Amino acid sequence: MQLVSDGEARAFEIVFDRHGAASFSLAYRVCGRRAMAEDVVQEAFLSLWRSGARYDYTRGSVRSWVLTIVHNRAIDALRRGAVRDSHDVAEEGAAERVAASECTESEVVRRDEARNVRSALGELPPEQRQVIELAYFGGFTHTQIAQTLELPVGTVKGRMRLGLTKMRLALGDSPEVAI
Amino acid sequence: MTPLDRTPELGGCGADAAAYVLGALKDEEVETFRRHLATCAVCRDEVAALQMVADALPLAVPQLPVPRRLRRRVMSGVRNESKIARAAAARHRSRLTLARRVAAVGGALAVAAAIVGAVVLTSGGSSGARLVQASVAAPAGSAVVRLTGVHAELIVAHMPQPPAGKIYEVWLERDGRSPSPTSALFGVTSTGAGAVDVPGDLHGVSEVLVTPEPLGGSLVPTHAPVIVAHLS
Repeated sequence: MQLVSDGEARAFEIVFDRHGAASFSLAYRVCGRRAMAEDVVQEAFLSLWRSGARYDYTRGSVRSWVLTIVHNRAIDALRRGAVRDSHDVAEEGAAERVAASECTESEVVRRDEARNVRSALGELPPEQRQVIELAYFGGFTHTQIAQTLELPVGTVKGRMRLGLTKMRLALGDSPEVAI
Repeated sequence: MTPLDRTPELGGCGADAAAYVLGALKDEEVETFRRHLATCAVCRDEVAALQMVADALPLAVPQLPVPRRLRRRVMSGVRNESKIARAAAARHRSRLTLARRVAAVGGALAVAAAIVGAVVLTSGGSSGARLVQASVAAPAGSAVVRLTGVHAELIVAHMPQPPAGKIYEVWLERDGRSPSPTSALFGVTSTGAGAVDVPGDLHGVSEVLVTPEPLGGSLVPTHAPVIVAHLS
């Protein structure tokens, strides 16, 4: 990141290659459309390039920092009035397509982590998983979720909290370690 | 049902922590909750614990390869900006001299601290450039906007570093309308110097503003301006 801070385009290329796939996958999951996801990732990485000097390594991993910015941009794009067509996330079944030849050791570790997170999320009671997914991937506020599901706001918040707490217990104290 | 499932209704302290880390609070609630966090260790601990889980959620997404055209677009944009930055850096060295002169004049004006009206320092001249002295909230800081035709540059001196996790963002305000964001995001050197091109069409622009914003910039200002330059 120091080289990126110094404005080294080649260093930034490495950052993109490391985190581009996770960023695109997250943007696509949120936006549901390839074109919009690509725009989001492009905007996010260009803003990262401009503000690289502002990365604070004491406040989390580079990956976490990158994905937070991509997530915020994706949710912003969604809330800016993008019509939510039915997510063509049917590609989910075709995921994990990164070629075997690209599968480095760190990638293997990351896939294990990904499997653990998916498992922890998948094992939640449906009503807890639903509110977490609507909030994080759907960009809905707790009041919007409460209205949609016709539930009291307190119930929605409670399900969010219980769901995240269970995931934390399932993942251990440091789910972010390998992110 | 586990013990964790027995209390779906929540209230009081900690009730908003999960919604906060998931980004599910409304803007006004976020501000209120952040103020609360500053004084509540229980909620800070809760947020820290749950934030780790929220940060891991992107891993739950099926991983797709990056489209090649996206990689080309991003890297092409980065290389273009890199070239522009290098050219600007060359110009920047000469501007620093100007910034020091501006600081000498602006420092005296800024002692009064809070924002005061702008003063046009010079107009016309052999280069056709016009310098507009900006008002600066920081007591020791100073700033000018250098206008050359439709081109504008913001040059600052003795500015404090943006707060942690923030970057300075340039905005353009037209009469009676909300400030429009620009792509100009900048930091300052250890001595508080900096220079940035002001992008966009300046036609009808009445004020150039600068606010500290989250990394990556904002679409609407989230803080009061720290620099205000009245162009008209």
